[in-house]
Amino acid sequence: TAAAPRSWRLFGAMCLLRLPRVTQPLQKEEEEMMALMGQIELEKSHYSDHEIRKLEEEELLRKRKESGYDDEVSGKTVIMARDLEDKWEQKFLRFKAAPRMTDADESNNRTSLYRKLDRNLMLLVKQKIGNQELWLVPQVEWQPGETLRSTAERAMATFLGDHIEAKVLGNAPYGIYKYKFPRAIRTEDNVGAKVFFFKAFLQSSDLSQAEKKDNHVWVTKDELGDYLKPEYLKKVNRFLLD
Amino acid sequence: SSWLPQAVPSRGSHWQSSVLALRASVPMRAQPKKKKKVDVKREQAQKERMKKKIKKLEKATPELIPIEDFITPVKYSDSNRVRSLPDLSPEETERRVLLLKKWCLFKQKQDNAEKKAIQSMVEAQQEALKELRLESEELYQAAVRRDERLFPFERDGPSYTPPLPGYDPPEGKCVDITKVYTQ
Repeated sequence: TAAAPRSWRLFGAMCLLRLPRVTQPLQKEEEEMMALMGQIELEKSHYSDHEIRKLEEEELLRKRKESGYDDEVSGKTVIMARDLEDKWEQKFLRFKAAPRMTDADESNNRTSLYRKLDRNLMLLVKQKIGNQELWLVPQVEWQPGETLRSTAERAMATFLGDHIEAKVLGNAPYGIYKYKFPRAIRTEDNVGAKVFFFKAFLQSSDLSQAEKKDNHVWVTKDELGDYLKPEYLKKVNRFLLD
Repeated sequence: SSWLPQAVPSRGSHWQSSVLALRASVPMRAQPKKKKKVDVKREQAQKERMKKKIKKLEKATPELIPIEDFITPVKYSDSNRVRSLPDLSPEETERRVLLLKKWCLFKQKQDNAEKKAIQSMVEAQQEALKELRLESEELYQAAVRRDERLFPFERDGPSYTPPLPGYDPPEGKCVDITKVYTQ
């Protein structure tokens, strides 16, 4: 079978996904449910040590006020539970966490990896097919002697450099896009091409060897429609989870 | 009769009837001798008793390790610990029941969407493998082979805020005081 001429050209393409760093915002039902669960948990619980201490101190303070401060006003300062709570609150306010919406979000810089931290981002590159420049999942033609998975890995390395670390999810392709060449260049043994898609998770963030900026974008599943042709998009969407 | 070393219990002459007689005939103090004999016997008896006890204990079923999560400490069942909150109004209970029903529907829709997505993924993969088989059997076999390097696959889940670059966490020591039980 290796000697027989192929009528379809084979390509291996790699869908490289950057997994989310931040949790997605809760939907309305989820927020309402979370509030309800918290309420029920509060109702079913007993007082904790800290709360008992707080209650006792409130009682003491109240009694002291009523009896008019003629109790022992000793030199030693007693730390009240209320003061502890204030101190913890202050400490928390002093800590500034990193923002969930980054600068790349604001400027809609699609080449940055730090955009849309709560979603999956997929790599798309501009490639020349025939005489057209198209936005595609990075793909490279298969060469005899290698498996399709290595073709896909080679495609990834071609566009992002050798030092990219990605976990490829298995040896099997996830999807296929088949197309026939336009009649002008179609021949007996060159009918069309089959592009096999593989999936990988990006693990390193070292993309210094990537190509020029205007050749690639990192987009979410919804934004794929801005770049990919409808038929191609349909095939790719089948195996991408949001 | 010749005095033979005690380690070799044999008869010096045919006049002696037993080994013990040999010992008695040797001119030594009687008192400490007797103590040693009795001690040896007593010690042996003690050892046997201990062994029997050990065997009995080993035969008994091993004590179950208590699960500390399931035992509420006594100090938490005090009556002053009970929270005093106002009772739920009927509107509140009504609202809760309706919310639970909405949640049930929401989760059902979410679950169905997930199942559909997984099914579509599987279908797409089957189609791809079918086409690949039509192309080349060799490539198909390479694709269907199990990937040994995939598992174990570890990944930290997303957090609420992204990691702060250059953050220096405060110093501290963590002392583990969990009780470890052995059977």
